[in-house]
Amino acid sequence: MNQRKTDFEQALARRRFIQGAGAGTVILALGGTYVLSDELTREARAQTRTDGRPRLPPGQRVIQALRPMGGEPGDPSPGAYRLRVHGEVDAPFELGFAEFLSLPQSEQALDVHCVTTWSLLGAKFKGVRVADLAERAKLKKSARYVIFEAAHGYTSNVALRDALKPTVMVAHQLNGAPLARAHGAPVRAIVPEFYFWKSAKWLTGIRFSNHDEPGYWETRGYNNHADPWKEERYA
Amino acid sequence: MPDGTAPAKSPARPRRKLNVRPWLRALHRDIGYFAVGLTIVYATSGLAVNHLKDWDPNFKQVNRTHQLALPLPSDDDAAAKSALSTLGVRELPREIYRASDTQLDLVFDQRTFHVDTRSGVVHEEGQAARPLLRVANWLHLNRGKKAWTYIADFYAVFLLFLALSGLFMIPGRKGLLGRGAIVALLGAAVPIAYVVLSGGP
Repeated sequence: MNQRKTDFEQALARRRFIQGAGAGTVILALGGTYVLSDELTREARAQTRTDGRPRLPPGQRVIQALRPMGGEPGDPSPGAYRLRVHGEVDAPFELGFAEFLSLPQSEQALDVHCVTTWSLLGAKFKGVRVADLAERAKLKKSARYVIFEAAHGYTSNVALRDALKPTVMVAHQLNGAPLARAHGAPVRAIVPEFYFWKSAKWLTGIRFSNHDEPGYWETRGYNNHADPWKEERYA
Repeated sequence: MPDGTAPAKSPARPRRKLNVRPWLRALHRDIGYFAVGLTIVYATSGLAVNHLKDWDPNFKQVNRTHQLALPLPSDDDAAAKSALSTLGVRELPREIYRASDTQLDLVFDQRTFHVDTRSGVVHEEGQAARPLLRVANWLHLNRGKKAWTYIADFYAVFLLFLALSGLFMIPGRKGLLGRGAIVALLGAAVPIAYVVLSGGP
């Protein structure tokens, strides 16, 4: 009888625990949703871009500083840095960091959107437009895609028409300071119209290609196009 | 028939029932032991990289600002030596780079000092690897590729075996014919419900 009572009490205790855990999970989930809906995000959701799209793509939340997001770091040394521009071009070239800094610079406040749902708005990136690098390399008519090449074999792919937009650049400064190592020093690509994995850190090359070549994340289940406004996160 | 009676039938040999459970248990146990290390690597790293947006699971970030007394020597090497002496850094930089008229970069293996030679402000930034997690994440994400792909494949097959053998290890009402089936179905319902409720890919 006592043994039965003990079993019964144990079962009851387990049931209480499961009920408590379930209720706690629901409360946390609801609370989390409330907390995530912060002021910056609400403000951004109310804004509209000049192209008519909402400033904040769906499913995104505004943060206040760029997050590193990992990756295998490349060599941050500016002295050893080389940027190779090649592929479907008539005048391929290589630049050292000093030469890169001597090219016409562009400083733009841009919004960037990470596939993990954070967005950073109005980050000031300084660097050289990909369109300017393409012009210097004299693109062949056969060029259709841009492959950003980075340290340790990382690549990302963007259609040429998107890569030549004036907001797409190779940046070496963020908010007036040199790009930090965690963000791809000395230079990284910035492709603000697409999820941020397209903006390759520790950039070593820009290759113009006559065919598409899905890159590191694109071959690991992420979307090949990666438009944040269409929530093209995964393949 | 010498004595006119039927010969006695030899007694039927009892059929041996094939019992696979002991084999299952033994394999489940040993493969389970074997998989402990890999499970710790994959589970720990899985937790770490699942929350990439909240933290960097591979590196601790270093971001500090220092102030140097002015003026700094006009020669880059001398300015670097002076700055490092003031900052108490004994390590030698692997590179001293004049990035602009007002910016001198002192590059070390794990950190860089960006010295504003006009204001004396030094921005130190760098990354320090999280030793175990970085290795676990490197394995989990299969960044090294090559032979690790085969090891990961074997591990996946082992996990499948552990899951399937686990279904049949317990006989009776706590096994697959009783509570086991209910719990297994509940577990299977989690991804199904998620896909249905979220709309799927």
